Amino acid sequence: MGTHSGHGRLGAGVTAGVAGLALAAWLSGRRAARGTASTEPVRAARACHRSSALLAGSVLADSAMEHERGAYANPAMYVPPLMAALVLLAGAHGGGDARPQRHRVRHAVYGGAMATGVAGTGFHLYNILKRPGRWSWHNLFHAAPLGAPMALLLAGGLGLAAERVRHGRTRVPRLLGRPAGQALGLLVGAGLLGTTGEAALLHFRGAFQHRAMVLPVSLPPLAAAALLHAAVAPPTRRPLARWLLRLVRLLGWLGMAFHTRGIARRQGGWRNWSQNLFAGPPLPAPPSFSALAVAGLAALRLREKRA
Amino acid sequence: MSADTRYRGYDVLDKRDTPSWDAVTRAVIDERLTAADHLPQVATGAAWRVLRALCTCIVPQPADRPAVPLAALLDRRLAANRGDGFRDARLPPLREAWRIGLDALDAESRHGHGRGFADLDDEARIDLLHRVQHGACADPAWRGMPPALFFSHRVLPDLLSAYYAHPQAWSEIGFGGPANPRGYVRMVANRRDPWEPVEARPGEEARAYRENRRVR
Amino acid sequence: MCADARERPRGAHGRAPDVFRRGGWVPMREYDDRDAVDFAIVGTGAGGATLACRLAELGFRVVAFDAGAWWRPLEEFASDEEHQAKLYWTDDRLCDGADPVRLGSNNSGKAVGGSTVHFAMVSLRFRPEWFKARSQLGYGADWPLDWREMWRYYARVERALRIAGPVRYPWGPHRGRYPYRAHELNEAALVLARGAEALGIRWTPTPLATLSAPRGPAHPCVYRGFCVSGCATNAKQSALVTWIPRALAAGAEIRDLAMVGRVAVDGADRATGVEYLREGRWRFQRARNVVVAGYAVETPRLLLLSATGRHPQGLANSSGLLGRYFTVHANQAVWGTMDDEIRSYKGPPSLAITEHWNYADEGKDFFGGYCYMSQGPLPVVWAVTQGGRGLWGKPLRAEMQKYNHQAGLKIVGETLPQADNRVTLADTKDAYGLPVARVTHAYCDNDRRLIAHSMDFMSRALAAAGARDLWRETDDTCHMAGTARMGDDPHCSVVDADCRSWDIRNLWICDGSVFPTVGGVNPSLTIQALALRTADRIAALAGRGEL
Ligand SMILES: Cc1cc2nc3c(=O)[nH]c(=O)nc-3n(C[C@H](O)[C@H](O)[C@H](O)COP(=O)(O)OP(=O)(O)OC[C@H]3O[C@@H](n4cnc5c(N)ncnc54)[C@H](O)[C@@H]3O)c2cc1C
Ligand code: SF4
Repeated sequence: MGTHSGHGRLGAGVTAGVAGLALAAWLSGRRAARGTASTEPVRAARACHRSSALLAGSVLADSAMEHERGAYANPAMYVPPLMAALVLLAGAHGGGDARPQRHRVRHAVYGGAMATGVAGTGFHLYNILKRPGRWSWHNLFHAAPLGAPMALLLAGGLGLAAERVRHGRTRVPRLLGRPAGQALGLLVGAGLLGTTGEAALLHFRGAFQHRAMVLPVSLPPLAAAALLHAAVAPPTRRPLARWLLRLVRLLGWLGMAFHTRGIARRQGGWRNWSQNLFAGPPLPAPPSFSALAVAGLAALRLREKRA
Repeated sequence: MSADTRYRGYDVLDKRDTPSWDAVTRAVIDERLTAADHLPQVATGAAWRVLRALCTCIVPQPADRPAVPLAALLDRRLAANRGDGFRDARLPPLREAWRIGLDALDAESRHGHGRGFADLDDEARIDLLHRVQHGACADPAWRGMPPALFFSHRVLPDLLSAYYAHPQAWSEIGFGGPANPRGYVRMVANRRDPWEPVEARPGEEARAYRENRRVR
Repeated sequence: MCADARERPRGAHGRAPDVFRRGGWVPMREYDDRDAVDFAIVGTGAGGATLACRLAELGFRVVAFDAGAWWRPLEEFASDEEHQAKLYWTDDRLCDGADPVRLGSNNSGKAVGGSTVHFAMVSLRFRPEWFKARSQLGYGADWPLDWREMWRYYARVERALRIAGPVRYPWGPHRGRYPYRAHELNEAALVLARGAEALGIRWTPTPLATLSAPRGPAHPCVYRGFCVSGCATNAKQSALVTWIPRALAAGAEIRDLAMVGRVAVDGADRATGVEYLREGRWRFQRARNVVVAGYAVETPRLLLLSATGRHPQGLANSSGLLGRYFTVHANQAVWGTMDDEIRSYKGPPSLAITEHWNYADEGKDFFGGYCYMSQGPLPVVWAVTQGGRGLWGKPLRAEMQKYNHQAGLKIVGETLPQADNRVTLADTKDAYGLPVARVTHAYCDNDRRLIAHSMDFMSRALAAAGARDLWRETDDTCHMAGTARMGDDPHCSVVDADCRSWDIRNLWICDGSVFPTVGGVNPSLTIQALALRTADRIAALAGRGEL
């Protein structure tokens, strides 16, 4: 077992993650697009690309750091950050692409990300089950996190949805045999619930020591419920769902600000970054809420268009 | 750093100006490193020579690096009269125990070899110390202090705790050293934080050495 | 950095050190020596600080004394084993008997906050049956207390200290959830876990009094591993950073560097106050009640030192039991070498535990129980442990090279209370001019059988986890108790269930010395639970005018 981490690689991992996240954040906020005025499906598709990119940015930062902590003991550990970086690029590309056609390379990247997500979940499950204590709270808290590979799966899924939606031949785009707005709403709603689950687990681990820690376990489920309802109920305007999703989008960035402060509060603060970025609250995690909210809003628009 | 360590190239003092050390630790260790200049105050004269010889037996040090001034570290402690908070009732207080013990070692040596303890060769010294350890000596110079007890309750704990409180000893055994505000994040087997030493597995000595030079 | 805390008292002039801020101060109420305060408390450790805090919060006027210094951990606790000896009780004590104990670093502290400033934070509850060890398990003595009541007080201490523990505790009756989640395990702890699973017994992350998440101004643990040298991050929930700040806020006065040399009593067998040495001067604080909380050696010593014509054998000693039944925990270990790098210096030393042999009664050839925990010795402790094996010279150096590969399991084992294990006064005097304590100790056969059982079992567990070259550390002890035992018969005990002396009704004892038996777990949680109970009892008695 000769794998050891050095400061250089540590710095590189962290920098890559931070850069990816910044890029994704920039993208997710970007509205203007190349090319002609888009139709609603294309607009929705681009929102999904951006959402996927932001999620991938979060995964990139997180997996680059966490796998660095694990010293890349298994070469397979390089795959998720790599895949996340590709999804990020694909999202950047797709987010600016106004053509109503799917893109073969992007499509392949998204498929690959989903496969990586599935495999990663398997690896992480194995990691949990081989540790003493097996399936226990303790290993859920501290062994390889199950939520992380699932986020990559979700990023790939959102990207694929974007490709399908923009490729729609009918006036009303369809996804998995359903109206796209509905299918996307269901996907994002489930994603939001899953992400809430992870936040709940980690904030439980942190004993909800700060009042704000209940926000990400209360607001997103509400938004998810509203979105799921909008997805299955007859299409109409859903101002409540829209507002909740906007709040969740804000919450992601707010969460990052809280985590920044959380790191500063730990022993040694930011000067002790090489420890506190790892042991403190995870900086890249909260924006995944923003990412999902972006896609959720797109789903809502598609759905409302049908009304 | 010498060849009898698996952590060649690692020097815990390289971390002095990193987040692993705080101000109070720097002050404490800086002070400890001045022991080399310490002039004996309690174990003086003949006792000083005996003590130095004793130290080389209890913790033999490699010749290819400056030695930890073990005798000086102990004498400083004796001068400050820093006890441990308990004393086996059969032993006299700290300084007295050491005075008697060093004197008795010399007496045993003269009795058995016609020379002072410091003038014996290594083998003879070690031999004599084994006899002390097992209580197999009875020179009147012990003045009623049980030799084996002196050995197990004073010689070993006092010298070993002084030696392994020295940064050089930490480097030798691959201890991470001071750790505040920065502690550790990689807790499981075979993982090290970049600020921890690298152990040289057989065949990887050169790489470990290079990485150890970079540990901060 | 400010001047050394040991040079002159810091709790003075209406202010006290703020342990949460470098160089900071907080206001402190002060009382005049002539003002008969409600409670003068000797010692500010697990027992004294907890009681001072609660009594002040209940509205009593409290002054607490400690012989030790008042530190600010953030700026004064070095990452260094040797330097941090400044936290220990290093005044001389004499040890004799067939198995003399080694006191010092592993046994007691001298600081505001007491031994909790450098304790290992393991926070365990007694097994319920131990409170009735004599009648239910057939050994030792019964406590005059009901476990269900103690269970409630345990929960209160756990909340007050934000104990980080497992979501579900595997042994004993139901307990509520620990306030904070358990810490991540280091490899030394995983070794224990693998051994336990291989032998088919349960294990768990240890409930620890160190923060796994922030708490107000206190930082969470950074896994620096210097816990028994004092925690520089304030993660450790010692009395110094928990009960003491609360006590100050509630109006208690704490006097550091104040050594109490005598408890004064009048002709009507009422305590009238304490004589104490501070800033080179002996002074006298008047008090309506005196509490002694100096831990199991200093408490009997002080009461012996306070002998008068009416109480020639010392105060509170009509039973003749003061100083007797000095009881320790056996603290033997099995060590071995692993192929993996363990690096047990990372993290709190005892992250995993099994209490199997505390709760299992089958398959034992001894009374009592033991738990065992994973270990994380730092270099000085480790080297001295090697010395304890008799190693020196080349073999020692070779052994020390394996430092990062060693793993060990260590018991906290119940020993039986014996009347002849005791604290008495010696002829030697300390720096204050007071006779030092003489601590006489021997194991009994039952203790030896317990130790042998534990070492055999741990050897199997360690081997099953993959350790090679096993060896045994045979002669360590930890924790002290029993020298002023509680009971419900004045002839067989020193204090009653309320920790109140039978002889001198306004004299109380609130620390580890009141334990009639020690169980197989570390004592601090029980000491603090008892202190909370005593505070409630005092308030109830005061309410009825029975103080
Ligand atoms: C290294 C170590 C590790 C430990 N680990 C654990 C653990 O993990 N879990 C656990 O439960 N327990 C542990 N303990 C034990 C625990 O710390 C003690 O049992 C507990 O603190 C005892 O509480 P106390 O109130 O009886 O005495 P202490 O906490 O020792 O407080 C007594 C105080 O009284 C003061 N004092 C004494 N006499 C006088 C006097 N005459 N005048 C003025 N002041 C005086 C002393 O200075 C001291 O500060 C550990 C102890 C040590 C030393
Ligand atoms: S390991 Fe945690 S509790 Fe122990 S000294 Fe370090 S920060 Fe404090």
